[in-house]
Amino acid sequence: MSETKTYLEIRNLHASTEDTPILKGVDLTIAQGETHALMGPNGSGKSTLANVIMGHPAYEVTDGEILFRGQNLLELEPEERARLGVFLAFQYPVAIPGVSVAKFLKSAHDATHGDNKLKPAEFLKELRENIKYLEVDDSFINRYLNDGFSGGEKKRMEILQMLTLKPRFAVMDETDSGLDIDALQVVAKGVNKLAGADFGLLVITHYERILRYIHPDHLHVLIDGKIVHSGGSDLVKKLEEKGYDWVRQEFGEEVLVG
Amino acid sequence: MTEVAMEKPVDTLPGFDEAHFAAVLAQGESAVLTAKREEAFKDYVNIASPTRTDEEWRRTDPSLFPIADMKRLPNLPQVESLPESPWDAEFDVVIAVQADGFAIMHRNGTAAELGISVLSLAEAAEQKPELVNEYLQGRALPANSGKYEAFNDAFWNFGLFIHIPEKVEWEKGMLIRYQMDVNDSMLIPRMVVVAGPQSRAVIAEHLESPDTVRFMAVPQRELYVAEGANFKLVSLQEWGLNSYQITNDWGLVERDANLNWFTLNFGTARSKMKFGSDVAGPGSAADMDGLFFASGEQHMDQRTLQIHSSPDTYSRLLYKGAVKDTGRSVYQGLIIARPGAIRVDAYQTNNNLVLNEGARADSIPGLLIDADDLKCSHGSTLGNLDPEQLFYLRSRGMSEHDARQALIMGFFEEVVDRIPQKFIQDIVHKNIEEKMEK
Ligand SMILES: Nc1ncnc2c1ncn2[C@@H]1O[C@H](COP(=O)(O)OP(=O)(O)OP(=O)(O)O)[C@@H](O)[C@H]1O
Ligand SMILES: [Mg+2]
Repeated sequence: MSETKTYLEIRNLHASTEDTPILKGVDLTIAQGETHALMGPNGSGKSTLANVIMGHPAYEVTDGEILFRGQNLLELEPEERARLGVFLAFQYPVAIPGVSVAKFLKSAHDATHGDNKLKPAEFLKELRENIKYLEVDDSFINRYLNDGFSGGEKKRMEILQMLTLKPRFAVMDETDSGLDIDALQVVAKGVNKLAGADFGLLVITHYERILRYIHPDHLHVLIDGKIVHSGGSDLVKKLEEKGYDWVRQEFGEEVLVG
Repeated sequence: MTEVAMEKPVDTLPGFDEAHFAAVLAQGESAVLTAKREEAFKDYVNIASPTRTDEEWRRTDPSLFPIADMKRLPNLPQVESLPESPWDAEFDVVIAVQADGFAIMHRNGTAAELGISVLSLAEAAEQKPELVNEYLQGRALPANSGKYEAFNDAFWNFGLFIHIPEKVEWEKGMLIRYQMDVNDSMLIPRMVVVAGPQSRAVIAEHLESPDTVRFMAVPQRELYVAEGANFKLVSLQEWGLNSYQITNDWGLVERDANLNWFTLNFGTARSKMKFGSDVAGPGSAADMDGLFFASGEQHMDQRTLQIHSSPDTYSRLLYKGAVKDTGRSVYQGLIIARPGAIRVDAYQTNNNLVLNEGARADSIPGLLIDADDLKCSHGSTLGNLDPEQLFYLRSRGMSEHDARQALIMGFFEEVVDRIPQKFIQDIVHKNIEEKMEK
């Protein structure tokens, strides 16, 4: 069947933290195989949306729903969402001293692969391949997770995790921010390795630059907890040509940008 | 001027009075040991028993220790050998200590070839009285010792004397393992280690007793690390949950020498432990790493002293602890720089995980400085697991339980990673896991 299937569906999502509403009715539908971009000023709620999709306990969903392949994500713990194939590449990954990258990746892989766990040797082989593919230094795997990592290293680490876990749906929260062109190409390589029919992607970004490497099918603009504008390839093209400044002018972001 | 001798009131711990002491002496031993005990007994009766009003005992009531119920084991007899234990193979010498006797077992000829003495204090007093005279109750002990130091000096019932000669490098070192299983008994171990100039050695200790056995230990250790020596002591304490311990340990580190001291505490119902090192010669260094985990109803109180009595010295301390259930921990740390101890680097860190409401950790870092021109830092943290770290791990598919475990394990890893023996690292991991599961 050529008809595209709905993959992720967010309906009228309201979320708040400490009684402060942040998301105020977000609607977003991503079909199987699609890549969507989400832009918006600082503080508009992009990371909050990403965190709510993943199930961060700091946020309370006060209304609306999130369905992933027909399943209500809001009923599930973060780890259950991860096991369904949902992945979040964090904007600011935390450091976890004392937990080595290799050990952590193996635990995460085992936890998300149910009956298809790899033997340690197979796992290590795959990990080495991914490390090479992402042009990450070998010594990475023996270091403590994100501990003392540079900003760029942390972002690569997120992508390495994504390749290791092979999610069905990923949110990348400003993975491109602060990366040089080489690093950005590495990130794009990682994404393109996963891209395919059974993969959906939501890319949160401030810069049109990444859109040249990851070609989104749709683009949304989030302002003050609501999606105020959405468009297809026309909008993406316009953005690529005119740059992100155009969005700012169009949606009055200049007053909001920090 | 004439001095008037003031008669102090005699103060003894319950059951450990003059008559008891006479009975200890009646067991018979070398003159040098008897003389030392007698000297100590005089101090012992003159030092007031600690009370809750003493700052050191404010958070750990001395009455938590049921001394009156505990019967001092007779001086442990030495036996030829005792059954093997899985980790014995990692060492050249193994000392097994049980309530009814101890054995010093040489697994190969290494210690003999290197001229290393591994002796009971009784043997050492016969063979090397001048060394015993110099080091037992020697310079490592503080000038004004406390009640329990003097108590151990007078009443010890198991003594070890270890001497590593100059320039000897003892790679595999030795293991001392305690397995105590007699109810209402008291073990009062005394260990003296002399690491000669430019020597290098490692000693591991493993202390165990079944949870069902009510028992008490009052150990004291004296560690002498001579000029240019490098000595490591790893002490893994897994006494059963029905046991009690009051420890006083002292390390004296001479010029350019290095002491690396691990105290890993998991056991006892109640414990009060004091670990003090003095970097006493220029260029000397002490690294003190500690780990403790109080769960259930355990109460653990630790006091550390980093004494700098010489200029150009370094000390680094890292103690990491967790409390869970209604577990309680107290950490008091003190960096002491004596007058004239300039160009000193001293670091003290105590991090505590408080894993649930009802558990409690007190952390009291401190500095006592009589010198300037020094770099000192001390700090402590208290808190539960970081929710952002938990979420991060869970977002990767790890269950909350597994994520908590990984974080707690990771918290301790900075200390565990430094432990020189892999098998002790493994036991430590196992202990942490068990504590988390219970
Ligand atoms: N855990 C939290 N506690 C308190 N306030 C929060 C929390 N998370 C988000 N907020 C607030 O909600 C608003 C939206 O934050 P969010 O991080 O989602 O914005 P963003 O669009 O990702 O911004 P940026 O582009 O800077 O990453 C901000 O005002 C922020 O301060
Ligand atoms: Mg954000």
